[in-house]
Amino acid sequence: MEYDNILENLLGRSQFLVVGKSVVRADALDKALGRAKFTADYIQKGTIVVKVVRSTQPHARIKRLDVDGALRTPGVHAVLTASDVPGLNQIGYAIPDQPFLNVEKVHYIGDPIALVCADDEWSAMEGVDAVVIDYDPLPANFTIDETLKKDAIHIHESGNVALTSRIRKGDVEKGFSEAEMVVEETYETPFQEHMYIEPDAALAIPEGREKVTVIGAMQSPFLVREKVAHVLGWSLNQVRVIQAFTGGAFGGKDDTGPLVCAKAVLAAVKLGRPAALVFDREEVAAYTPKRFPARIRYRFGADSDGVFKAAEVDITLDCGAYANRAPFWLWRQTVHAAGPYEVPSIHVDGRAVYTNKVFGGSFRGFGDLAMHFAVETQIDRLAAKLGMDPIDVRLKNVLKVGKRTTSDQLLDHSVGIEKCIRGVVEASDWSHRRESRRIGVKVRGVGIGCAHHGISTSRGAPDWSAASLILNEDGTLTYRTTICELGQGTPFGHAKIVSEILGAPIDSIRIEIPDTDTMPNARPTHGSRGLTLGGTAAADAALKLRQHMVKVAAGLLECDEGSIEMRDGRAYRKEDPSTGIEFKELAQELYVRGVSPAAYGFFVPPRRFFDPNTGLGVSYPAYTFAATVAEVEVDVETGQVEVVKIWPAMDVGKAIDPLMIEGQIQGAISQGIGFALMEDLRLENGKVLNPNFTDYVVPSSLDTPEVAETIIVEEPYKHSAFGAKGVGEPAIISIVPAITNAIYHATGISFNTVPITAERLYTVLKRSEQ
Amino acid sequence: MKPIPNFILHRPETLEEALKLLSELEGSRPIAGGTDLLIGLREGDCKAKHLVDLGLAKELRYIREDEGMIRIGSTTTLAQVVESRLINAKAPVLSEASSLVGSVQIRNLATIGGNLCNASPGADTAPPLLVLGAEVTIASRNGSKSMTLSELFAGPNRAKLASGELLTEIYFPVTPAGSGASFQKLGRRKGCTLSLINAAAYLEMNGEACREARVAFGACAPTPMRVLDAEVLLRGVKLDIKAIEDVSSACYGLVQPSTRAHARASEEYRREMSCVLMRRALTEAWQRARRNMR
Repeated sequence: MEYDNILENLLGRSQFLVVGKSVVRADALDKALGRAKFTADYIQKGTIVVKVVRSTQPHARIKRLDVDGALRTPGVHAVLTASDVPGLNQIGYAIPDQPFLNVEKVHYIGDPIALVCADDEWSAMEGVDAVVIDYDPLPANFTIDETLKKDAIHIHESGNVALTSRIRKGDVEKGFSEAEMVVEETYETPFQEHMYIEPDAALAIPEGREKVTVIGAMQSPFLVREKVAHVLGWSLNQVRVIQAFTGGAFGGKDDTGPLVCAKAVLAAVKLGRPAALVFDREEVAAYTPKRFPARIRYRFGADSDGVFKAAEVDITLDCGAYANRAPFWLWRQTVHAAGPYEVPSIHVDGRAVYTNKVFGGSFRGFGDLAMHFAVETQIDRLAAKLGMDPIDVRLKNVLKVGKRTTSDQLLDHSVGIEKCIRGVVEASDWSHRRESRRIGVKVRGVGIGCAHHGISTSRGAPDWSAASLILNEDGTLTYRTTICELGQGTPFGHAKIVSEILGAPIDSIRIEIPDTDTMPNARPTHGSRGLTLGGTAAADAALKLRQHMVKVAAGLLECDEGSIEMRDGRAYRKEDPSTGIEFKELAQELYVRGVSPAAYGFFVPPRRFFDPNTGLGVSYPAYTFAATVAEVEVDVETGQVEVVKIWPAMDVGKAIDPLMIEGQIQGAISQGIGFALMEDLRLENGKVLNPNFTDYVVPSSLDTPEVAETIIVEEPYKHSAFGAKGVGEPAIISIVPAITNAIYHATGISFNTVPITAERLYTVLKRSEQ
Repeated sequence: MKPIPNFILHRPETLEEALKLLSELEGSRPIAGGTDLLIGLREGDCKAKHLVDLGLAKELRYIREDEGMIRIGSTTTLAQVVESRLINAKAPVLSEASSLVGSVQIRNLATIGGNLCNASPGADTAPPLLVLGAEVTIASRNGSKSMTLSELFAGPNRAKLASGELLTEIYFPVTPAGSGASFQKLGRRKGCTLSLINAAAYLEMNGEACREARVAFGACAPTPMRVLDAEVLLRGVKLDIKAIEDVSSACYGLVQPSTRAHARASEEYRREMSCVLMRRALTEAWQRARRNMR
């Protein structure tokens, strides 16, 4: 079914009731007043405290593990090791390279070895200190170059290359022979820590015989269920997973959720008592997955008019200790390698390599942030060489309907990038601002960044979503999805879709927290899929329930179903709105007449596929597009950069809620400024030196610039509810290159790495003066 | 990380009682806002069996002018300093510097005495107080004594306080007509940031000549420091842009920034920035002094 035009075709309306309007979220007040419950708020007195014993070595064999001292520590009830794992001691997501608890070897500083279970936090920490581990240290590889050396020690048995990926499109040699201008550079992007405000947490409660409930911070309740069941050796229906309100995640808790929940569950099941594991900030910042660092070598050719001819891209992903999401991350980078532009011939080679560091993982933008930083920097360099305006170069090559992506996917609709670019150019008064301006020691510059980001899980993995909807006897509705509320508000977007389809007041719909025992799998809250896929499942549920309600209403009002309209919590005849029935009454009639008052929704997007040899195929069902102009002011005496103003534009398909889009963009600007200018995770021999808010510097509210009104472009995606496409991830991707290109414009210096800290920019400026 | 180890909290209502507790209880430490101390306790950098909370001793919390002296009680919060009409009128440089410490929440708890006794090399209240010529009163059960603020700073995060001693007051002379001061700070972001380096300058003008000059830096040496060698270059000279430029450039060799590998900024950058910040501080102090001819 084409869901983008259900308003006209199925609902018979020409105007939206709630979709497209800014509505205050249902959870806003509870959160503002501190009433919303997060995982740690559910922990009751008497709950066992779990702490993780971690490796202090970056790479070593475990010679001896002695827990006797810990067991003698007052308050300690148990110390669990790999031998206590009843099911599989293997928790790698894509590649089985990651032990749940390490017993033979450790691969990074922070690798989990044992769990101390105690009465209170102090005893648990004393217990952790009392565990004796003798290591046989091994040489460690900390960098891409070290780990790729011929004689480098293998971190995992399979070797140091976890996987490879590639694209072979067109004739690159011929393309470069037609190119008049070639730009070749190597880019390196660093770790980024999410620094979500709520540290990871899980509370597990054993229930009767061989059943456990776990409440936790996560992004994918069903992945948590699967991993917990594997660790216990249980079936899926023995594990109930509830996602509490989650205090920020940004991808991070997609990876940590199962790891943290499974640890709390193991303790609870072994001890037969509720058990909780709550990380502190240092654990989160030093030991949980970060944005994968990447090295991207980029060769790019264009003719003298700035038309792209060919590109050759070589990507090396630094996985750290485990591959984790690397296959998906690398593949996403590979198929987005040309940016939102058509490049007729392109070869991409990617590899993901192991090092003895904290491992990489999911993070907003998922590979596309690094890839677009490289592409967009390349284009501004190319424009400078050609003496062209960077906007003109982009407009000559930008993706349009009928053009083909890096993976040769034909785009037949929903391509709004050109409108985004033209929108921000006009709003920012681009050509005027491109005139260089210097006020005293401050130099201003403007830059543009563009982005595209495929919706849904990568590598053509099967994807679907589900939702459930109950019409209660009083006419209110209970909506449930396992798409998670992480601060972004996606479930509320679903509720608006339901409200629109049923004509139910938004206040009459209650969103229940995800619970795997009551819902089919809606798949993860990642890949910017929560709204596009999850929201369409919600639409499916609402359309099914609507049929039931219309049928009963038509019977009561003695008219045919086609003449029933529903809005404001009422069903009535279109030709005579005064004759109608309240949802309360209608609901009771459904129950009485035996017409189901509940519906499950389900949605599967059109199939995707790719050829593993060439990487070509249909990579994603749809793409969200974004363009951003940034203005910066550089203090040439200190090297400090202030982002003065941002002009954002995004093709969102259909804006379900403009206020929530603005929220995503404002947050992304802040996180993007952090990545571009400040955030600098420092490691020495595999040890994270700044796992705290004091020295891992993220932007404060004072560092947030003025943000112009978001230009919302709506090129609907025909298979999603009202045509909506996800916005959370695309929001950050274009911000970073917009800022770095603005610095390039202001100073003439184009950086191949971030963050561009004051000291770094100062040093380069000084060198360039000499 | 372990939770904060157990301690016994004492809450005296007078200074006398507090001094008694501090002298009698072994392993005791005073606590005011606790914004530095609690972190130190948690990280194990310091230990305390007894904490003596100064919060109820109201006599330590005041800002007043008294015979040509501004006097600030040591447990006055930074928020109170920022909002004080007296400080804003007569020593705005201190209010400006205080407003740049931490966040609103931190400034509501942190005290000026605590900021000084913590003796962080980069404490933001230190450079302005150094250039204002501040002295401090140290009390103990045996009586009280005074020392200059420079003397208080014994080393990185080390104040010259014996056990049982408490800093009770900070005081400095009301600045005369023709004077002006400025505080400059370079952080890693705009709000809620530690200083990579900070600087303060105080100038007293007599027509075009500089009658008195005091300059100080933070995070450029093991302790906040006055730069006497720079002050000499300013005192008595006819001030102009070139003179300011010369003195500022000289700071490059006068500061002694940390050479640690993982310092928050490199030694070289701090030296370079000491020149920039001092030029900005002197320029602003000079402008303010000229406006303040009364």
